[in-house]
Amino acid sequence: MNSLTTYLFLAALLFSLGIFGVFQRRSLIGMLIAIELMLNGASINFMAFNRFLAPDPIVGQIYTLFIMGIAAAEAAIALSIIVAVFRRLGSINIERAQELRG
Amino acid sequence: MNSVQSLIQPQVLAQIGFAGIVALTLTGALIAVFPRNILYNILGLIVCLTGVAGIFVYLGSPFIALMELLIYVGAICISIIFAIMLSRPLHLSLPKRALPKVGLALGVGAAVFIMLSAIISRTEWQPAAMRSSDWSIATLGAYLLTRYNLVFEVISLVLLVAILGAIIIAGYARRSPS
Amino acid sequence: MTSSWFQDPTLLAAMLGALLPFVSFVLIMVFTRPYPKLSATISVAAVSVSVICALFLLGRHWHLEHPIQYTTKWLVSGELYVPFGFMLDQLSLLMLTIVAVISFLVQVYSLGYMAGDPGFSRYYAFQSLFAWAMMTMSIAPTMLQFYIFWELVGLASYLLIGFYYEKFSASEAGKKAFVMTRVGDIAFFLGILLVLLNFGNLNILDMNSVDVTARMSPALITLCAILIFGGVAGKSAQFPLLTWLPDAMEGPTPVSALLHSATMVAAGVYMFARIFPFFSKSATAMTLFLAIGMITMLLASTMAMVTRDIKQVWAYSTISQLGFMVMGLAAGSYFAGVFHLTTHAGFKALLFLCSGVFIHAYETNDMYEIGRQGGRGLKIPMVCMTLGAAALSGLPPFSGFFSKEAIMGGLAGLHNPIWLWGGLLGAFLTAYYSFRLIFLILFPSKIKEPHHGEHGGHGHGDDHHHAGLYWVMAWPLIILATVTLVLGLFQTPLENFLVGHYGGAEGHGGGHHAWLLYVAVGLALSGVGLAWLEFGRKGASQVGFVERMEPVKTLFAERWYIDHFYRLFLDYVIYGIFSNLFTRNDRQVIDGGIDGICRATVGGGRMLSFLQSGMLQYNLMVMFAVLALVALYFFF
Repeated sequence: MNSLTTYLFLAALLFSLGIFGVFQRRSLIGMLIAIELMLNGASINFMAFNRFLAPDPIVGQIYTLFIMGIAAAEAAIALSIIVAVFRRLGSINIERAQELRG
Repeated sequence: MNSVQSLIQPQVLAQIGFAGIVALTLTGALIAVFPRNILYNILGLIVCLTGVAGIFVYLGSPFIALMELLIYVGAICISIIFAIMLSRPLHLSLPKRALPKVGLALGVGAAVFIMLSAIISRTEWQPAAMRSSDWSIATLGAYLLTRYNLVFEVISLVLLVAILGAIIIAGYARRSPS
Repeated sequence: MTSSWFQDPTLLAAMLGALLPFVSFVLIMVFTRPYPKLSATISVAAVSVSVICALFLLGRHWHLEHPIQYTTKWLVSGELYVPFGFMLDQLSLLMLTIVAVISFLVQVYSLGYMAGDPGFSRYYAFQSLFAWAMMTMSIAPTMLQFYIFWELVGLASYLLIGFYYEKFSASEAGKKAFVMTRVGDIAFFLGILLVLLNFGNLNILDMNSVDVTARMSPALITLCAILIFGGVAGKSAQFPLLTWLPDAMEGPTPVSALLHSATMVAAGVYMFARIFPFFSKSATAMTLFLAIGMITMLLASTMAMVTRDIKQVWAYSTISQLGFMVMGLAAGSYFAGVFHLTTHAGFKALLFLCSGVFIHAYETNDMYEIGRQGGRGLKIPMVCMTLGAAALSGLPPFSGFFSKEAIMGGLAGLHNPIWLWGGLLGAFLTAYYSFRLIFLILFPSKIKEPHHGEHGGHGHGDDHHHAGLYWVMAWPLIILATVTLVLGLFQTPLENFLVGHYGGAEGHGGGHHAWLLYVAVGLALSGVGLAWLEFGRKGASQVGFVERMEPVKTLFAERWYIDHFYRLFLDYVIYGIFSNLFTRNDRQVIDGGIDGICRATVGGGRMLSFLQSGMLQYNLMVMFAVLALVALYFFF
């Protein structure tokens, strides 16, 4: 609990699970949830470095706050896009959204 | 008695608590990723994020932990739930799982994890030579309003634009005939 | 040099003189096109400054010892080195002055001639462009700069010939001039390249120095000289490429006066004189040039004998006089050629401007028609034209007499007398056709009386609207006529001025051949006499002896079928053989190749588009997999 690598591994695990989720889910909302997981992995990384390495332990916290702000914005946009896609395609299945197919 | 005393030493308690929180986080993450029902995913995400908040406490920042709960759990997850409720994707049939796809995703996820853990374990992490011990919320607030003043303002602007954009995108889709 | 360029009056004058017309061209084209008066003012003001600068330079450097060069490095590539700048020596100063003065006079004259034309501003813009290009060309220190401005002069000429572009024949004539001179220019450019390759330097002074013989073999020099002479032939309308000049008369008459008689076509001869020492290192080439000059002169003279178009006569006579200059230069008398160039510029501009007045007044080019309508009523142009024609025929005491005598003297110095006889025949023919024109206008067989008064008045100021324009046109005529009268008397000072530098090249003065003088003048007078007999005296038939012989007349009028030959050559050789070949190559090799590439691309695109499945997640997956693998590869 007091070593940096524990936290880093935890973060990496969360991030990889997020990636797995993004790839595997068919529903757009599921993907959004997975992306939130990835963002949290990154936040944990920041906080861990902040706790163990950084010269000024305020900066990492501030970064984490910013990540949260960005995540909120991203979630709002993503949700509205999902709503728009749903209205247009009648589905939130990502595999239906392939109008750009070559 | 002695053994019980030693069992409930704060150090050990903290260890146990940490293990519990990590377990909570991972369980939440798994629930957020695997089940096909979207509501379970959301609940799993909430669990996971609560665990992450606990980890932040362990990392020495109760303020960020509170913010985590407030923003992620309180705002983002709730808005996702609202989106699900309002756009009725629950009524749609659950998409089937395609095994090859899951396999591929698992492979890539594992590759990324291997890469990350390899990097983590191979790197010599060196703490900075001079480390300040000032963790207080007061300093954080002072920083936000002085040194990171501009970023703070820009973030608020981004949020405003995002909200407006979200309204426009969602509203435009409603008005468009197709 | 850079710090004190404005303290050196010579350089300042050269830059001002050469660059102001360009400034005026840009100003007119960009800003003042809708305001004809303002445009003309700008242009005339710029060219007046040029005249002042040129005269100032001429006066300042009258006793020039060594050529002055102001150059800046422009192209440096290994051993090759091409400067850009100004080179002032006797010849370029003289040419600069001629160009500036005649440009100035023509622009003033055009104020009257072009008045009311819808393209007035455009006309002055082109005039400025021409003046800039021609003056910068005159003082170019290297053959490359010379060539660049040579082409710019060609461009200005094209624009001005095709000035009435809505007229089909005018735009065709512009094209013809452009393309035919281009044929010569290609040869010119090849010649320059050869010199550059073998000599490594294009500086005119270096090309003229004795170094050339050390670094190039005689055969190579001959080849280069002949190639460069191609440019002369194109620009100065010498033998194989002579037919564009008569057609170029489609342009406004002042343009013909400026470009196609006095200055631009003389550029070829000027170039000959410019690198005269280079050319004279090859005796073979010089003999060839001599022959070309003579053929040109005689051909053009015969053509001039039958045409009815007043401007065509002067066009042909220009060609023949240019041939005569080339003969003079090729005969080795540098001064004679340049002197004839100078005097010719004066009297030929005069002749064209005079005929411009007639054409403007009677709106016809036909000399019979002008005579019938009372052309002799226009006193000033008539007198001036007679003076010009006398100068052209080489009658004393006009300027043409002196310069022609100088060339004849040069020809007489050659071993083979055929050149001299050719020159004398040319002089005879020249006198005949010039006075044929004069007599036709002066003593028409029948005058339409009612028209006489009307048109005489038209030019003479009864009509107040035209009176001012008439005088605007008349003043340049008077000035040029004066120049024509007195220029011949300046032969000795000019000779000292010019030949001081190239002293060695001069061996033949007129004095050695006193008999020649009488023979030449006698022949000229007999030419005038013949013209008088056939056209001038009362009751003359007004039909020339050539016109009595139908086949010969047709031959002459059709310009010895040179154009037809070109047409046939183009049809059979170029279109028939080369074009076919290239078309086939285009269709099958190039088009086929391109089509093949297209098909391959389309097919490849089809294949690749399977990858573009529109499946976001697979795309992302590939991205991350690659990221992971690359990171693993680099870290371990």
